[in-house]
Amino acid sequence: MIVGGPSKAGAVTERKPWTFYALAGVFCLYMAFLYGPMLVIYLLSFQGENGGVTFPMVGASTVWFQDIVKPGQMANIPVSFSRSMGLASVVSIITVVFAVAAGLGFRRRFPGSGVVFYLAVASLVMPSLLVGFGIGLGFQFLGWETSMFTSALGAQLTWTLPFGLFAMFAVVNRFNRSWEEAATDLGASAFQRLRHVTLPILLPGIIGVAMGAFTLSYDEYARTTLTIGTKNTLPLEIYALISSATSPTLFAIGTLTTGGSFLAIGVTLVLVLRMQKRRTAASLKVG
Amino acid sequence: MDTRFDVELVSVSKRYGTTLAVDAISLRIPAASYCCLLGPSGCGKTTTLRMIAGHEAISAGDILIQGQNISELAPVRRGTAMMFQSYALFPHLNCLDNVAFSLKMRGVGKAERHAKAREFLGLVQMADFAQRLPAQLSGGQQQRVALARALIMRPKVLLLDEPLSALDPFLRIKVREELKRLQRELGITFVHVTHSQDEAMALADMMVVMQDGHIRQSGSPREVFEKPVSPFIAKFIGSHNVLSGPSGPIAIRADRCRLGVPGDGPFVSGRITAVEYQGAMVRVAMMTDLGPEAAALMPDRDFYADPVGPGDPATLVWAERDAHAMMEA
Amino acid sequence: MGTTTAPPLFVAERRMVWPRIRFPAWAVSWLQVGPMMLILSVLFALPTFLFLAVSFFDYDRTGIYPAFILDNYKDLLTTPSTWRVYVSSLKFAVIVWAITLGLGFNVAYFLVFHIRNSMLRTVLFLLCAIPFWTSGIIRAIAWVPFLGRNGAFNQILMAMGVTQRPLEFLLFSDFAVIVTYVHLFTLLMIGPIANSLSKIDPALIEAARDAGASRWRTMTDVIIPLSKTGIALGSLLVFTQVMGDYFVVKTMSGGQSASIVSMLSTEIQAMQYPPASANAMVLVIFVAIMVALMMRVVDVRKELVK
Repeated sequence: MIVGGPSKAGAVTERKPWTFYALAGVFCLYMAFLYGPMLVIYLLSFQGENGGVTFPMVGASTVWFQDIVKPGQMANIPVSFSRSMGLASVVSIITVVFAVAAGLGFRRRFPGSGVVFYLAVASLVMPSLLVGFGIGLGFQFLGWETSMFTSALGAQLTWTLPFGLFAMFAVVNRFNRSWEEAATDLGASAFQRLRHVTLPILLPGIIGVAMGAFTLSYDEYARTTLTIGTKNTLPLEIYALISSATSPTLFAIGTLTTGGSFLAIGVTLVLVLRMQKRRTAASLKVG
Repeated sequence: MDTRFDVELVSVSKRYGTTLAVDAISLRIPAASYCCLLGPSGCGKTTTLRMIAGHEAISAGDILIQGQNISELAPVRRGTAMMFQSYALFPHLNCLDNVAFSLKMRGVGKAERHAKAREFLGLVQMADFAQRLPAQLSGGQQQRVALARALIMRPKVLLLDEPLSALDPFLRIKVREELKRLQRELGITFVHVTHSQDEAMALADMMVVMQDGHIRQSGSPREVFEKPVSPFIAKFIGSHNVLSGPSGPIAIRADRCRLGVPGDGPFVSGRITAVEYQGAMVRVAMMTDLGPEAAALMPDRDFYADPVGPGDPATLVWAERDAHAMMEA
Repeated sequence: MGTTTAPPLFVAERRMVWPRIRFPAWAVSWLQVGPMMLILSVLFALPTFLFLAVSFFDYDRTGIYPAFILDNYKDLLTTPSTWRVYVSSLKFAVIVWAITLGLGFNVAYFLVFHIRNSMLRTVLFLLCAIPFWTSGIIRAIAWVPFLGRNGAFNQILMAMGVTQRPLEFLLFSDFAVIVTYVHLFTLLMIGPIANSLSKIDPALIEAARDAGASRWRTMTDVIIPLSKTGIALGSLLVFTQVMGDYFVVKTMSGGQSASIVSMLSTEIQAMQYPPASANAMVLVIFVAIMVALMMRVVDVRKELVK
């Protein structure tokens, strides 16, 4: 039976239809497809000293990991990494504040909401390089210098804000207006309502937006490249590395960043899930 | 200030764009009474309740609570408290914090408000659940916490939006009794919205039947049941036969009708369409020769003394004095 | 207690105290979307108008001159290489779209309808999403050692005895480009489609079964129409990402194909802003057409903001 949702308690275990196995097979193949190259990255990051970027593996070493932290050379990884982290943090904070506010604004129909919506859609689908180009051009015409926390920040925001907005739609849809009415009934002012009821309940979603924005910024290349001026973030540095000299250092970077992402996402997930579990049952039971 | 009435609606209307959800209704609810707003979906009863609460703006007219015009006041300044249909307990707070919420908003210190909240949780027999989250409670338990949360504000009027609809039938009757008892003990007015006439009749001191944004009849349940003013009321309340009398429509209680033979008193003939066993009573429905449907509600003993079945011809008889002439169409 | 009563004898005077500041609802909403609108207008809408303007400018080796000439567009649209690149990009876009749609829909369907345990579902979703968090560049080049002559895939194939000699076409070819695109962008399909699918009331499917629909009919007549929004959104994202791609084609095709954006990038580096702008405008118009097409299929706004 193609029925979604939680299984009925106490139901006799049904034999899964053949479609289940077929689709499970497709899913496993997809996982293999997805993670195959990833495994290559992880493996090759331990490439021997004399090995290159392809197989065969010439021994094994951690030389390339060490290479990362050695400054100078062709690229400066640690510095660009910290720049990426800094920029991503700022982008994340701004995105959360603006996108959450905008998401709340969209709860009612207001004149001009269509314009705002489609502007967000357009900003989302526009090829990144074009956006970067446009901003870079604008800055040039104005005689301003492009820099990380002005033009690059702005360019990345055109990408993260629409994402944040759409994520907020999903979150806000699940929000029961009665909670806010109850708060008003119980004497909360508009500010108290926001602080004690709306935001705490939306918190898991807000954290999701923050993490999403952080990751988007951290990996962002095309929009950033034309708007950042001379100092590189990590993706740009990586690109420079690729064009100049491909070496397993790249893979070592990839392994580390994946590991870092895993950790960050893992921690956030545990936090968010714990919050959700306590409350999801509430919204299912009530009403 | 006139304190005979806890709630007064003076020509209150609610307009949404071009639609009139509530059309200039006026109502006076006596002090410390249980008032039920009853009616089919879309009649405006919930909108009216929300206007009293302050969650819906009033398009025209005034609402007074204990003589004071509260039409422009914030919900918290009106002296009302609302119990929402979905209970609306804050999912991120435990029961204690939920109940103490209104005190927190007023700036009451933690120890004091927790103590007070515990007191009110005790009032609804939920003291043991103070640390639980709403997700961990059953429907009936959530409702009690919602009640405590509303009562802690010491409202002059408690507003209940279909509080019993989410409960199963057995729980419904039990909670009904509790609500009535609570209202008597607290000595405040309850305004309770429902679409179930059984519920309204069981609970209300004053029953207000609404339709299409108007109040069609208001009075004690007994008054409404025995003297419906229009066919709509008679049919909505149920257990009435609406037939054409000599000078307009008449309503006769189904339990005042019995199956008999045409005689001196009023009667109507027809064919039986259904026989429904209801335990203590049996309901016999029939299609009259003149068109309208009618039914007789008789004690089971009487029915089984001379049972009939669908398709049998039958005559409905009743006493002249039991027929109630309805003034309105 | 009648139905209508005379007005009360004494009415306390009205006190206008709440809400303290009366903001009309629409003003509040505009205040809330304001900051985002500001950023998007200044940093997205304005620059777009900017290169609309610049695309009409004149230029030569020394600089650019404000003017209104159509030469840039003329040059752009009459050069065969432009058309070649657009056709090539479109070709990739369509193929990739078809594959990601098929793959993405199946994966999304599997996750939403066949996995009952919501914890497991979340974990599997994350498994699909985690690679996304490694830089796209690194993931793209990871395919090189995988698909190359000495790459892992060939080694596996040879070990399994499927082929004797390494397959050459795997890398630096259209095949490699498409594989990389699918690898990078399938998630863009899975997300929106899964979102749409999860909104389908399971009772609808049961009702279809009750009425005698086979699994296949249920899929075509019930499920697919109801997931239109997700499909449209995913398609839009995949299409625009492929059309706007810069890096993948360059690396994975071994220089055999170019992409629209890399063409642009070359012009930008040469400081030839007017033709670059013209090029950009054509791409913008193309994207706008795609969005408009998608909007005809489904009212995204209504679906999302419900």
